Amino acid sequence: MHIDARSLPNGSLLEGDLCIVGAGAAGIAMALEWIGSKHTVLLLEGGGLDYEPAMQDLYRGKIVGLPYFPLEAARLHQFGGTTGHWAGFCSTFDAIDFEQRDWVPYSGWPLRREDLDPFYARAQPLLQLGPYDYAAARWQRRDPGLVPLPLDPTVVWTKMWQFSPPTRFGVVYRDAIFGAPNVQLYTHANVCEIVANEALTAVDGLRVRGHDGKEHRVRARQYVLACCSIQNARLLLASNRRATAGLGNAHDLVGRFFMEHLEIPSGHLGLETSRVPGMKMYAFTLGVTKARGELALHAGVQRARRILNGTVSLEPGTADEVAKSTFQSLNPQVLAAMRDSTEQGAPPPSADSTVVPPAPFYHLMTRQEQAPNPLSRVSLTTERDALGMPRAQLDWRLTDLDKRSFREFYGVLGREFGRSGLGRVQMLDWVTHTEPAWPSTLSGGWHHMGTTRMHDDPKRGVVNASCQLHGVANLSITGASVFPTAGAVNPTLTLVALTLRLSDHLRLKLG
Amino acid sequence: MERRDFLQTLGALVCLSADGVRGPDWPVLAQPLLLMLLGHEAVRELGMQYRALVPQEDNRDLLRSTLPAPWHRSIAATIQQDFEAGRTVVLRGWILSVTEARQCALFSML
Repeated sequence: MHIDARSLPNGSLLEGDLCIVGAGAAGIAMALEWIGSKHTVLLLEGGGLDYEPAMQDLYRGKIVGLPYFPLEAARLHQFGGTTGHWAGFCSTFDAIDFEQRDWVPYSGWPLRREDLDPFYARAQPLLQLGPYDYAAARWQRRDPGLVPLPLDPTVVWTKMWQFSPPTRFGVVYRDAIFGAPNVQLYTHANVCEIVANEALTAVDGLRVRGHDGKEHRVRARQYVLACCSIQNARLLLASNRRATAGLGNAHDLVGRFFMEHLEIPSGHLGLETSRVPGMKMYAFTLGVTKARGELALHAGVQRARRILNGTVSLEPGTADEVAKSTFQSLNPQVLAAMRDSTEQGAPPPSADSTVVPPAPFYHLMTRQEQAPNPLSRVSLTTERDALGMPRAQLDWRLTDLDKRSFREFYGVLGREFGRSGLGRVQMLDWVTHTEPAWPSTLSGGWHHMGTTRMHDDPKRGVVNASCQLHGVANLSITGASVFPTAGAVNPTLTLVALTLRLSDHLRLKLG
Repeated sequence: MERRDFLQTLGALVCLSADGVRGPDWPVLAQPLLLMLLGHEAVRELGMQYRALVPQEDNRDLLRSTLPAPWHRSIAATIQQDFEAGRTVVLRGWILSVTEARQCALFSML
C-alpha cells in the first residue's frame, strides 16, 4: 500500500511492527523480505516516487577537506533511492576484506566472508544477477570467450564482476511494495528526529516532517535506518534532544570513518597482442555484459606489501589519450539508452559480441578501497534545510597508505606483465610520486561507506555484528554505513546481503 | 611499429655497423615488444632518460658489456629473469627490466 504523507492530517500517528527509514536498495530489500508476514511494516521514504528538486535539496551539504561531488548529486532522494541511476556493478568482498590487517588501522569486521555467503546468494536475484558464482574459471566454462590473461594467479588474479541490468528498485519492485497488504509505503515522509527513551536504551518513536509544515509521529517495535551513509549519520547526530552528541554517539564515532572507493586513471598497459587471443573477459558494454573480470592483487601480495585492496579495469585506448571513466568512455548511443532505461526500467538493447580482439593499449582505471580514517567524517553544519534539519558536512580525507597502495599495486602489476611477457605497464606521474598530494583526477566511485561502522566493542563501533545500534535494543542500521572497511568493489551487493542478514535477525526479535 | 619507424630503426642499425662498431649490435638491440609498442622515438627517449638516471652507465662500450651476449641466452629470457628478480627501473612511468632499459640506452646512442 502506498500513501503520500502529504495527504495525512497533521499530527497523524503511524504505527507498525517494523519501521524502515529509507526506500533505496537496502530499505526496499528489507521490506520485500517481510511481504506476507504477520507483521505490519512501515516503509518511510523522504522523497516522492520520482525526482523532485525540493526533496533533492534536502541532501545538500557542505564539502570541506578533499574535493567531492555535490552531496545533493551523490544520492537520489526518491523511492528506489540511488538505484535510480546506478550502473549495476556488483561483486563480492574478498575474504581479506573482512580480516583484521595489522597494516590497515581500524580494519576487521566482526564477521567473516563465509558468514555472508548465504546472504550474497540471496541478494543475487534481488539485483537481477546471474548465479552466485564469481570464479573466473567457471565463467570461462559458461562462455569460452571469457579467457583470463595468463598471469600468475598467486600474484595478479582476475576478479569477476557481475552486472545488474541495472535494477531500478523503484521501478522493478514498485508493484510488489504497492500491492503488499502488510507493507505501508509512505512517501514524502522525512524523518527529522529519532526520539529515544530517557535512558537511551530504546527508541520511543520518530518524528516526520513535510514541506507543508505537517508533523507526524511514528511508533514501531523495531526500527531500521536505511538512508545511506551520510543521511544515517546525519539523522543520528541530529537526534540530540536527550543525547547531546547525538544518538548512539557516546564514543564520538557516528559520522567518522567516511570512506569512498578511489577511482582514478592510474596508468596504461601496452599489450603483446600476439600472445592474447581475446579480451572479452575484460570488456564491458552497459546493459549487455553479464560478467567481466578486473585485475586484482592476490591477498598474499597485499599482506607482503602491506597495502590496501584494489582492482584495475582495462579500457581500450591509446597511451597519449586522456583516460576516461567507464561512463565517460561509453558512446553517446549507449548513454542515451542508459537514460531511457532509467526512465523506463528496461535495459538498453544491444548486441553481445563473441570476440573482442586485443588492443595494443589499455587505460588502467583503478578502484581501490580507502583506509578507514577517523578524521574522514560527516558532521552537522549550523545551516538548516527546509525541514529544519541541520545540513551535513563532509570532510573527506585520505592517508599515506591510500597513496602508497596505488604505487605498490602498479609496481607489482608492471613486474608481472613484464615477467609473463604479456606487455608493459606505465604508471601515470602521480602514481610514481612519493609525496602525499593527489592528482586533479582524484575521484570517488559515488560510494559512501562507513559512518556508522560495525564492531563488537561499543567504543570502536556504532553498531554490533547484528547491525543493532549499541545500547539501543530496537534500532538497527543497514547499508554501507555499517562497513568497517570498504573492500575493493562497489558496495551494493554487500549492503543488500547485509540487509537480508539483518532481516533474519529482526525476524527472531519480532517473532 | 609502423613501416616507416621500422625502416628508420633498421637504417640506424646499419649506420651503427658501418660506423666501425665492433660486432653486430642488432641482436642485443632487438627488443621487438618495446619497439612494437612504443616506436623508436619513444624507445630512444627512454634510453636517454636511463642514461640521465644512471650516468655511470652512459657509455656505449659499458652498456654493451652489461647486455648478455646474443649466443649465451636470449634477451627475452634475461628480461623475464629481471622482472622475476625485481631488477626493474621506471622510465617515463614505464616499468621496465634493467636489461631492456640498457638496450634502450644503447639504442639512444645510435
